[in-house]
Amino acid sequence: MHIPTRYRLSLYLLLTPFLAGITLLVVIPAGLSFALAFMSYDALSPPVWRGVQNYRHLLADDLFRRAVVNSLTFLALTVPLRTLITLGLALLLRRPRRGIRLYRAAVYMPTVIPGVAYALIWLWILNPVYGPLNLVLGALNLPTAAWLVDPRTALPALALAALFQIGEGFVVLLAGLQHIPDDYYDAAALDGAGRMALFRHVTLPLLAPWLFLVIIRDIIASAQNTFTPALLMTGGGPYYATLFLPLLIYQTAFDRFRFGEGAAMTTLLFAGVGGLIMLVWRISGGWGYDDSV
Amino acid sequence: MTLTCRYGLFALFVVVLVACAAPSLAPARAITFMVSGDAAEKAAYERLVAAFRERHPTIQVTLIHIPGQSDYRKRLGIDFAAGTPADIVLINYRRYAAFAARGVLEPLGPYLAQSAVISTDDFYPEAMNPFIWQGVIMCLPQNLSSLVVYYNRDLFRAAGLPDPSPDWTWNDMLEAAQRLTRDTNGDGVVDQYGLGTEVSLFRVAPFIWQNGGDVVDDPQTPTRLTLDTPAAREAIQWFVDLQVKHHVAPDAVAEAAENSESRFLNGRLGMFLNSRRGVPTYRTITDFDWDVAPLPRGKQRAGILHADAYCMAQVSKQKEAAWTFIEFANSVEGQRIIAATGRTVPSLRAVAGSPVFLDPQTRPANSRVFLDGIAFIRAVPVMETWVDIEDMVAEELKRAYYGQASVDDVIETAITRTRPFFTRRDR
Amino acid sequence: MIRSERTPWRTAGFHLTALSVSLIFAVPVIWVLAASLRLPGAPPPTDLELLPDPIIWSNYVQIFELLPLGRYLLNSFAVAALAVPLTVVVASWAGFALAQVPEHVRAAFLALAIVVRMTPITALWLTRFLVLNELRLIDSYAALLAPVWLGSSPLFVLIFYWSFRRIPADVIESARLDGLGALAIWRRIALPLARPAIGAVSVLTFVQYWSDFINPLLYLKSESRYTLPIGLRLLQQMDMTSWPLLMAGVMVMIAPIMILFVLAQRAFWVEVRS
Repeated sequence: MHIPTRYRLSLYLLLTPFLAGITLLVVIPAGLSFALAFMSYDALSPPVWRGVQNYRHLLADDLFRRAVVNSLTFLALTVPLRTLITLGLALLLRRPRRGIRLYRAAVYMPTVIPGVAYALIWLWILNPVYGPLNLVLGALNLPTAAWLVDPRTALPALALAALFQIGEGFVVLLAGLQHIPDDYYDAAALDGAGRMALFRHVTLPLLAPWLFLVIIRDIIASAQNTFTPALLMTGGGPYYATLFLPLLIYQTAFDRFRFGEGAAMTTLLFAGVGGLIMLVWRISGGWGYDDSV
Repeated sequence: MTLTCRYGLFALFVVVLVACAAPSLAPARAITFMVSGDAAEKAAYERLVAAFRERHPTIQVTLIHIPGQSDYRKRLGIDFAAGTPADIVLINYRRYAAFAARGVLEPLGPYLAQSAVISTDDFYPEAMNPFIWQGVIMCLPQNLSSLVVYYNRDLFRAAGLPDPSPDWTWNDMLEAAQRLTRDTNGDGVVDQYGLGTEVSLFRVAPFIWQNGGDVVDDPQTPTRLTLDTPAAREAIQWFVDLQVKHHVAPDAVAEAAENSESRFLNGRLGMFLNSRRGVPTYRTITDFDWDVAPLPRGKQRAGILHADAYCMAQVSKQKEAAWTFIEFANSVEGQRIIAATGRTVPSLRAVAGSPVFLDPQTRPANSRVFLDGIAFIRAVPVMETWVDIEDMVAEELKRAYYGQASVDDVIETAITRTRPFFTRRDR
Repeated sequence: MIRSERTPWRTAGFHLTALSVSLIFAVPVIWVLAASLRLPGAPPPTDLELLPDPIIWSNYVQIFELLPLGRYLLNSFAVAALAVPLTVVVASWAGFALAQVPEHVRAAFLALAIVVRMTPITALWLTRFLVLNELRLIDSYAALLAPVWLGSSPLFVLIFYWSFRRIPADVIESARLDGLGALAIWRRIALPLARPAIGAVSVLTFVQYWSDFINPLLYLKSESRYTLPIGLRLLQQMDMTSWPLLMAGVMVMIAPIMILFVLAQRAFWVEVRS
């Protein structure tokens, strides 16, 4: 189809706000971040060149190392669990039947709760003396814990809170399941395949690209979703147990006004997330992520 | 009346109207004043601003209030970074060094020297000294408080305890706290504690000093923390033992369930360590009688300085107007207004010694305690990185206080972690 | 066939499981509601009670007195409401253009959109703050609304792209031959056909800006401009252990979202249908 130049030009014109937005809000900050990482800047005086000093200092800094360990631990806890839970729920609620709308809505609901409200709700739930979680556990004669107050259980508590906002992944997996034609199941069933086999040989492989998407999204999400909960619920404590990288960056930049150091942390975070995604891609053999997007 | 006559009369009327209105049409100068604190403290400053407005109707003062302490710090930083700070900000002596070092504050010494209303000698030198930066007075202190013990007199009576005496000892306080820690409803859980306090270097320091130790090796040019000397170690151990060994203070779980200050306000805590800052809020207490007692003495007496000061932003476009407000706020009249709300131990000798502060009819009745402590008051070092150091030590102390690590462990870690911050140059 | 074997046992088992799961996901909101109706200042009960006794409705009034929460509520609403039309315009423009540009350009843009989507915001805060600071946009709603420039989220651009892709090429071709420019075609032909997309993007945009915490935290300084998330945090800082009041604030914040969620279900399932 031949598009006259004038029309094509006007199309590109329609793209300019989007382009301008990306440049101003993503490209420039990203580039600036990379550059600032080599300097010392407190926003009051002009930046001072420091070469790789920021990076060297960070790698020796115990707080930074702690934050990285915490972030990785959180990732290792939440990504597999969330994926499993999302998969399980998607499988459970895949077929339309009576009440399905309600159940699906209930599963999605925590996801729409705004971050601030969600954090405060869990702060209440996890309260060691009055919070509903310990009250329920106590009523069922199960062991209770001090949750956010104990350095050993604080991070797992935050991970627990993160297991309920799975709406986005849920929607994606539902879509993926719907894309699997029923004939595949029929054919396999005729060959005498049981439920487990059906799952392993039909569902899983065909769902793979979608699962992959969900996992990638989760990894990226965990690089930013820890900020609001950590800020509002624990402030990074007790004794740095919930000091995650986003929180440390925020504190370094906006509490201590060490923007250069914060920028260095940011680039390392970015590199780390990118690296993880590459890793997952490699491991999964680049499972045909469908570019029919 | 003819037409011209009518117009003439009308014109005259308008002229007279304008002439009468003229003074209020004078241009108003607008300045902003930023403070932190809770609702009662905010109300105190609102009173001050209102009084100033009556005195100087051509200067319009907008009060900016930031509730949280750490948010206030952040806000200060962001404002200065953006180049749009409030004209006047209140900064604590432990925090103003970073700003002074970067030249974003306007030194107030010259203004003070030229003032007809107040002069340097009117102030307590203990309050003024920390704000002298490289020989020049940077900011004007509004107060000099020390750490005191707020106690619930009704609970003391109920436990058969007399009011704390002026030279009660560490042991006396511990015993009182033990008598006040009880399970009031017999459900096996302690719901009334004897003592509550924030866990920080700032709270522990006076105890270290009282025991003959020090926090740093040289207060003028510190190079390391000296928490590992036997005297300091002993004091820290005693402080930590209040919770870990004697359980007279809430543990981590209890503190998370309801924090110490809240317990005190609700009548469920016998004693709470705080500076004068808490008074406006405590004055809202109606259920029980409370008062203040000095910190118990150790081997010697010592108190710790709490001081906030009015600082002017160097980029302020209304320096004259800002100084007029600062001068008013730190004049006898201005300091009286704030003192009346209970917020400050006035830095002006005249006001501190007057009934507005000492009146036994206003709580705390024993306000004299704050003045008696001035002789023993000591300050923590003024350094750019002191904030980092305090934060780190606080995290370490909390570990020991809540029984998660031993005092020796914690002291060693604190000294190691804070060492780089004594020599660090951020620029 | 296995799929259609729905014995009464199976059905009961399904409903039991689904119901339990739904309860686990939905019950916290009920706890919050119950907590918000308690008496502040009194120690909360240490047993599980569903409805407090006495029920204190006045908590909801008190939070509006402690803080200018009403003003914050209006501010949040204003920002979110303003963001919706702006986002719809920018995102639908971009989606519309993407549906028609040549293949390689489209591929490039889509890749860009995906990369942007994958960038954690935490990687951009710091320097975005510095950029907006230089532009003197601190303490303005322009800073909060800045994301509309990229359609608030690359996802929205994608939603419109999928929607517009369905429009037959000859429809657009004939409109063009009739002399209509891109803008006119967008307005008169494309948009009316994309109602579901507009609905979905509107709802999701509203939720995004209503919930936005980090941007107001970084960029707003004047108290009169604060939005609800900041207000909630202030409430928490004013009295950390006054749970009933805090929970009342939480309910105020999530109520509009819950209502939207119930009324505009379809918006949230948009990806399923694409």
